[in-house]
Amino acid sequence: MLIITCPFCGPRDEVEFACGGEAHIARPLADHKISDADFADYLFMRDNPKGLFLERWRHSAGCRRWFNVARDTVSNEIVEIYPMGSLPVKTAAKTTYKTSWRRDTAAEKAATPSRSKAGGSK
Amino acid sequence: MANLSSSKPDFSGQTALAGIASSTSANPDGGAIGLVFGEMAHLGKLNLRGQNGLAKAVKAVTGCTFPPKANRFQSAGDRHVVWLGPDEYLLLCEAGKEQELQDSLHSMITSSHFAVTDVSDSLCALSLRGPAVRAVLAKGCGLDLHPTQFAAGQSAQSLLALSAVTLMAVADDAFILICRTSFAPYVQRWLADASLEYGYQYIA
Ligand SMILES: [Zn+2]
Repeated sequence: MLIITCPFCGPRDEVEFACGGEAHIARPLADHKISDADFADYLFMRDNPKGLFLERWRHSAGCRRWFNVARDTVSNEIVEIYPMGSLPVKTAAKTTYKTSWRRDTAAEKAATPSRSKAGGSK
Repeated sequence: MANLSSSKPDFSGQTALAGIASSTSANPDGGAIGLVFGEMAHLGKLNLRGQNGLAKAVKAVTGCTFPPKANRFQSAGDRHVVWLGPDEYLLLCEAGKEQELQDSLHSMITSSHFAVTDVSDSLCALSLRGPAVRAVLAKGCGLDLHPTQFAAGQSAQSLLALSAVTLMAVADDAFILICRTSFAPYVQRWLADASLEYGYQYIA
């Protein structure tokens, strides 16, 4: 049984939490045309590493809030807990994020608004 | 059901534990009763969401200091404000007052981004009291319920025998337990079973 520290409620039993799988999977934007094969990277392909893994967790029986966890799948050590919408800051977790195969996918590149559109708003 | 805010509340509806109509008690080992519990029938419950501009209105309406700290609740007489999350609170009030409270909050809160939802019938509140209350709850809950770790004024959302509950420590030997209405009969029966060895009295 893991003790997971909810960023809002503090340390609680693992049974109070639900794991939401791999974190940092950005949805390709509608105005970017990508192939079905590339879209499948976003929709279907999930990492299953032996080692440090960045995951989303939800305190389902507590405050019901989502947060990110950098957890080692071998030792179950939790290296970092950080808010949704942000990236890890601990070196090991940062490296895991940067070296993920997903960073090079067309799906992830298509999740960023195109420069011409972003430039038009302000 | 017309004109909810001014008409006298109608309590003819069934409560969550209406199916368990008779009071029961058992104390096979004799001695002092370990747990006395019963439903806080029709207790008013409002779910409040929002972050800014709530404190004044909540204080005026409930009398409670707002916001309560994480895993804590504030009380003023029969009214309580329970922390549920960084922007979510549960307001408890006397039976039948929830509509009035909801109306007042709607008219007094100045923020444009908030929600007050009447969840009185969605949740069931039980009052638990007795020297064995912590020992009974600890049988089905992973929280550290020692009085030094879960003192009066502290609250937590957790699991009790697999059902989602909100626990509020009112005193060393008194709790308010809030569960889903659909789970209430199960929780009632679980409590009766778990407290059998200490002796219990259930007040219908
Ligand atoms: Zn939490």
